[in-house]
Amino acid sequence: MKTEGNRSLAEVLRDEMVMKDRIVGLLREEPKTIPELAEALGYPSHEVVLWVMALWRYGTVAEMKQGRNEEYFKYTLSASH
Amino acid sequence: MLLKTADFMNYDHLIVGGGIAGMESALTLGDMGYKVLLIEKEASIGGKMVLLSKVFPTLDCSSCISTPKMAATSHHPNVTIATNSEVEEIGRNGDGTFRVRYRRNCTFVDNAACTGCGECEIACTVSIPDEFNFDLVARRAAHIPFPQAVPKKAKIDLRGASPCSAACPAGVKAHGFVSLVRSGKYEEAFHLHMEDAPLPGSLARACYAPCEDACTRGDLEGTVSIRHIKRFMTDRYYGAHPEPEYGPPEERLDKKVAVVGSGPAGLTAAYHLARKGYPVTIFEAAPEAGGMLRYAIPPFRLPKDVVDRDIKNVTALGVEIRANARVESVQSLKEAGFDSVFLAVGSGEAWTMGFEGEDLEGIVDCMGFLRRAYSGRIGDLSGKTVVVVGGGNSAIDPARVSLRLGAAKVVIMYRRSRSEMPAHDWEVQAALEEGVHLQILQNPKRFLGKNGRLTQLEYLSMKLGEPDASGRRRPVPVEGSEALMDADLVVLATGLRPATFPFAGAIEIRRDETVNADAETLQTSIPSVFAGGDAVSGPSSIVEAIGQGKRAAFYIDRYLRGEPLDGTTFDERLPVMNKEAVIGRGPVSKREPIRVKEIAAGDRVKSFAEVEGCLSENDARASANRCLDCAGCSECHQCIRACPANAIHFDMRSEERTAEVKSVILSTGFRLFDPHEKPQYGYGRYPNVINAMQMDRLLSPTRPFNHTLRPSDGKQPNNIAYVLCTGSRDCSAGNPLCSRVCCMYSIKQAQLIMGALPLADVTIYYIDIRAFGKGYDEFYEQARGMGVAFVKGKVARIEEADNNDLKLFYEDIEGGGGTQEVEHDLVVLSVGLMPNKDVLKLFDNGDLAADPYAWVKEMDENLYPALTSIDGVFVAGTSSAARDIPDSILHAGAAAAQAAAHVERRRA
Ligand SMILES: Cc1cc2nc3c(=O)[nH]c(=O)nc-3n(C[C@H](O)[C@H](O)[C@H](O)COP(=O)(O)OP(=O)(O)OC[C@H]3O[C@@H](n4cnc5c(N)ncnc54)[C@H](O)[C@@H]3O)c2cc1C
Ligand code: SF4
Ligand code: SF4
Repeated sequence: MKTEGNRSLAEVLRDEMVMKDRIVGLLREEPKTIPELAEALGYPSHEVVLWVMALWRYGTVAEMKQGRNEEYFKYTLSASH
Repeated sequence: MLLKTADFMNYDHLIVGGGIAGMESALTLGDMGYKVLLIEKEASIGGKMVLLSKVFPTLDCSSCISTPKMAATSHHPNVTIATNSEVEEIGRNGDGTFRVRYRRNCTFVDNAACTGCGECEIACTVSIPDEFNFDLVARRAAHIPFPQAVPKKAKIDLRGASPCSAACPAGVKAHGFVSLVRSGKYEEAFHLHMEDAPLPGSLARACYAPCEDACTRGDLEGTVSIRHIKRFMTDRYYGAHPEPEYGPPEERLDKKVAVVGSGPAGLTAAYHLARKGYPVTIFEAAPEAGGMLRYAIPPFRLPKDVVDRDIKNVTALGVEIRANARVESVQSLKEAGFDSVFLAVGSGEAWTMGFEGEDLEGIVDCMGFLRRAYSGRIGDLSGKTVVVVGGGNSAIDPARVSLRLGAAKVVIMYRRSRSEMPAHDWEVQAALEEGVHLQILQNPKRFLGKNGRLTQLEYLSMKLGEPDASGRRRPVPVEGSEALMDADLVVLATGLRPATFPFAGAIEIRRDETVNADAETLQTSIPSVFAGGDAVSGPSSIVEAIGQGKRAAFYIDRYLRGEPLDGTTFDERLPVMNKEAVIGRGPVSKREPIRVKEIAAGDRVKSFAEVEGCLSENDARASANRCLDCAGCSECHQCIRACPANAIHFDMRSEERTAEVKSVILSTGFRLFDPHEKPQYGYGRYPNVINAMQMDRLLSPTRPFNHTLRPSDGKQPNNIAYVLCTGSRDCSAGNPLCSRVCCMYSIKQAQLIMGALPLADVTIYYIDIRAFGKGYDEFYEQARGMGVAFVKGKVARIEEADNNDLKLFYEDIEGGGGTQEVEHDLVVLSVGLMPNKDVLKLFDNGDLAADPYAWVKEMDENLYPALTSIDGVFVAGTSSAARDIPDSILHAGAAAAQAAAHVERRRA
């Protein structure tokens, strides 16, 4: 996938407040990587990174321990959720 | 020491900019015993250094060495820090000292109370790019700049009033509840509304929504559907809570208030007064409470069970409503023991128009018609012809009601043209869809009857003449145009009269029969009597009346507590945001407003069922997500609720300050080169092209991501490229100078990557490596030894490959020559340091000289470092040239010594 025609950063970030519940719902099923979440949500992965990292920063999601050769982290709901 | 309001206004030295250089100068001067004022425009001191990962060549943790310095500066007894402050102007006094005018920008947080716990951030509903992470991640409108911030205090990013909230006469935070609905916090949205106005169900249906008229998105593809969003949150709340969740307040005051009239103004005043603890009694002449909500607005627009539920919000507080209780005099209420009275009697009476035959049976005024229709006293109108005279909203409702009562023909007769009709266009449209006939430029002349009952009206055609006082063209009868029309019922909707006549003797009434009340306090000619709503303003709107009820409650409370009514402001608003500036922030994708379902016109006239539907949950959130967050913070007040220290206060305001100083040190630092200026590198278009400051953040312990990951998909990059001299040594980018630090910070980052991502390859594309300082060349060699690849080549352009990897095209200088193409999965642009030109504007007479590249000019760098073109003004750190941290600190020491010498020389 190429990323020409990006949406503005501010607009993508505003979407977080709506997307967060869908992301939480998907992670409740099972831990997922960013590309897996992007696939499930139908949104570009660079936008999903922004949403997941905001949720990580404010304590909603946490990363799983990663295997040596895995390029992607899996994310899960943090203990408080 | 952090600035407190009472701090004195004279200092020895002013330092502008609290980066490493500014802090160093401040500490040096403070240690010498001078009084220093340090002004920093950001919320924390520390500048860029505290945001770096580590420093070259020692690889010491940058924030670990910055934070003690930041703490020392903030605790130094001789150094006063003003963060969030902007110098507006520095002027030179006749005696060689300086006068500084600066502005302390309001953070809406009481620093003395805030503990930096961060609860507000977690609760906040607005997501904004984080400038301290160079836009890699979101922060919240309520935020603590970064974990090591000094002072570590929250700040609310509220930049003004959002147009929607600013437009609401009742002070409802439209942006706030929209933001809460977007976040899925529906009950919170309802509660936020209740802070200002207790009748959300009615407003959600019948408010004219000035918020929507003001909405910035209205200048794009359509306003945010604020009213429908309110309908969604209120219906949902009422569905779950048929009764209010609260009872009367525990504290009951002994002063009693009488409210006359139970329309929106009266109900709102009663609500706010009762919340404060006053016992309130509402006297209502009609059999049921609600005023126009109940007796004017038809149930197909506002179902009466919604009005009932709204009113419960008021009565749950212990407010007593006495129906069928017409008040005839203010005196009677005084005698009954009330300490204050609020007159909110509305404007629901009829004017007599003086038409011949106006007293025939079958001619009614608008309110009389509606009241009788709703109480069943006007029954079936099957087969009848109804003529409604008038062009305002009060003409539309009787017409639509008549259709529902079965009328065969309903005509609205209006004397001007359609465009002059005061009724809202969507209301006229709805009436026309339902089958109402509009006869414009016509007016009744007289009514004809048989046995005292109306049978016909004679009317005239009109033409438009000169504009009248209202600016609308005056209708003039066309002579000889008389015609006759059969009619069974005529509704005169030609204006409403304030119901103030019983009080005319006691309080001042204006010629138009409205109450003469003070515009700010709503106090009448009797100090204990206040008045508001349509009784004061003439026919207006629900939300205006609610606004006045709230205002009256504020001033009645002050009156009853014996406080003066002047010297305070009710509901002081911030300046409204400029819509063009909001739209100018960046592109907005097209998202059409979501329409609500309505009953088809043909069906809806068959009953009084509500015409307009409610948004679904998904549609409500999607609608709310069209909001542009005009002011940043939405005033959703979640932070206030979350803050355990009660530190957040939205009534705080920015302050203008002045100070007198003997010398000035400028340490405003540098600006990073903006790589958007080199579009061939794709920065801003390709997510995996980032700048070096972003990479420093990704490598820092307080990084924005959970690891060093690439922004396109969260993968750990394994083949990273550095493009040196981005925006430096580049005349095409307007900067021929070397930035001195890019080679070294890139080498630093390469070494750190080797540690963080052991499997990754790093390639540095350079023109030549500048490793001039102590230990720098060794640092470079160390990187080579670790396996960092150095390629002498100038990168011409970057393209994106299919998986967000990047194709780099570079001129091979050392190898085989020609253009080479390579792939990487992350590219870091080693951007240069540029002058911060803002500093040149600080002096009122423009005397501060710049060098040819716009850095602050040092007049004699070799012999007298830090001296600028103005006697007594010095420069420190990267304000005058690109420097690394050790050099900045050294230079700041020199500036401090020069400034001290200047002050001493003048003393001598
Ligand atoms: C990616 C990158 C990595 C780097 N890595 C290193 C490294 O490892 N080692 C090293 O030695 N150097 C490094 N540097 C260089 C280093 O960042 C600078 O040398 C240092 O930050 C300069 O400090 P300063 O105080 O002069 O400026 P700044 O850090 O820019 O501080 C200036 C301060 O002034 C404030 N200010 C600006 N205008 C006003 C105003 N009008 N009123 C009030 N306040 C104002 C600003 O908000 C800021 O807080 C790096 C630079 C970059 C870009
Ligand atoms: S009022 Fe709401 S949007 Fe504003 S800072 Fe507080 S929580 Fe955030
Ligand atoms: S875009 Fe949002 S904040 Fe701006 S006016 Fe419209 S609803 Fe209010």
